[in-house]
Amino acid sequence: MQTPLREIVAVQARTWSGIEQPNEAAGIMADAMSATIEGFAALRGQLAFEDEPSSFEAALQATKEPQP
Amino acid sequence: MNAATKSSLLHLSLTDAADALKDGSITAVELTTAALEAFTRVDKAINSAIWLEGAAALEAAEMLDKKRKSGATLGPLHGLPLAHKDMYYKAGKLSTCGSAIRKDFRPSYTATVMERLEDAGSVTLGGLNMAEFAQNPTGHNQHYGHCRNPWNPDYCTGGSSSGSGAAVAARLVYGALGSDTGGSIRLPAAICGVTGIKATQTRVSRHGVMPLSFSADNVGPLTQTARDAARFLGVIAGHDPKDPTSASEPVPDYEAALTGDIRGMRIGVPTNYFFDGIDPEVQAAFDTVVAVLQARGALILPVTIPHMDAVSTYGGIVSRVEGGTIHAEWMRQRPQDYAVHLSGRLYPSQGIPGTYYLEALARRGAILKAVAGAVFGVCDAFITPTLRMKVPTLLATDIDAGTPGAIETFQDVSINTRPINYLGLPSVSVPGGLDSNGLPIGFQIQGKPFAEARVLKIADAYQRDTDWHRRLPPNVS
Repeated sequence: MQTPLREIVAVQARTWSGIEQPNEAAGIMADAMSATIEGFAALRGQLAFEDEPSSFEAALQATKEPQP
Repeated sequence: MNAATKSSLLHLSLTDAADALKDGSITAVELTTAALEAFTRVDKAINSAIWLEGAAALEAAEMLDKKRKSGATLGPLHGLPLAHKDMYYKAGKLSTCGSAIRKDFRPSYTATVMERLEDAGSVTLGGLNMAEFAQNPTGHNQHYGHCRNPWNPDYCTGGSSSGSGAAVAARLVYGALGSDTGGSIRLPAAICGVTGIKATQTRVSRHGVMPLSFSADNVGPLTQTARDAARFLGVIAGHDPKDPTSASEPVPDYEAALTGDIRGMRIGVPTNYFFDGIDPEVQAAFDTVVAVLQARGALILPVTIPHMDAVSTYGGIVSRVEGGTIHAEWMRQRPQDYAVHLSGRLYPSQGIPGTYYLEALARRGAILKAVAGAVFGVCDAFITPTLRMKVPTLLATDIDAGTPGAIETFQDVSINTRPINYLGLPSVSVPGGLDSNGLPIGFQIQGKPFAEARVLKIADAYQRDTDWHRRLPPNVS
């Protein structure tokens, strides 16, 4: 049986950040991260080697509306 | 002047009130007095303000009236009473950020947008209600009381700029700053029946603004009309040396673009994502919007928005990780001081790998280019409903109260707005109908980066043939 996601998040949050699960809603929202994992799994292979965050500002300029 | 006459002054649009102030037919003191009295009369029911400073506002209004009488050049917002989401810093003034944690916070410096608004002649009345740390799409607030929809107080206002939407809808102020990281201007605009614009990412300075997400935060106005939004945005947009991330792009005259002529403009309607599972009443209202635009000469075309799976997946984690990072210390030290829905949302971000976060940011530029190429290659703008659902009640979305299904409904509220933040596009939400519960329905117009003038032009053209933006909530006299 797979480890419930909330347990994985609990270990990560405690180990890396010293943060404890504050309430049951947090556990439910941690479990719901499974949809995010599935989303990322479906996108594997699409990140180009040269992609980087600053490409966004460049893209805003490259695709902008021409000024009148 | 009796109370009814004073109230009716507040029913003017921002630009009409500015004209009346300019020609001397009304004064800043009269408008400020009317706004403060309206808050006293109406705000118990909707709870749109966290704090007001009436005496200081009246003093500022008196100075502005003297300035007008002296013949000095007047700013574009001269004498207009405004109030803002309580997260815009003004040195020495309260800025609660809608939180218990910052209930006594008084910053030592002033936000650039606040300086620009006051330099333009506006009168600041106070700080408006908001979601705690701008992190919910519904307007719930456990610390200052939920903001309530002027159209029906049992329903959400939308968030996170809840007080901004409610105060403009109830005609308490002519405009209000909101902020938009996943829809927080457009959702309360749509849900309260007003106009709200999120400009292109980087268009407006964020200096002195409470942070939520470095990559997705936007500052913008909620107003009655698109013309009001154009006037307001024109004051606050433009590069700010204090915010190096703000764009150097020149700011055009947004109001000059509002000619009403959209003949031949190509407006896309997405064939994917934005209409999945839509409520039939929202769809019917949207169809009517399309017909109005078509009747004004716009060409309506179907358009497929590529990469929506990536936009949705990546867009779902960027602000969560950034918000989780800046709140980590308080989550360690005082998690009990957050509302349940907020600590519940912040906590799972600690489990998202850094590699996911960087992948989401690294692909953002390539995805924007691909979307812009595919969409704006065939149309000039595209429109969608702002929400796919009818306005939910406060109870149906109250996670803290343990309402069954609240978490899912809560997350679905922003499903059409959040992707636009990842793409960084300008987007204006416009009132476009009422549902069978008597609550507003809105639609949003998106354009290319820095196409604020175009999306406002479409919004204004639509408002010339409709009156949804002028309708008043039942109890607003």
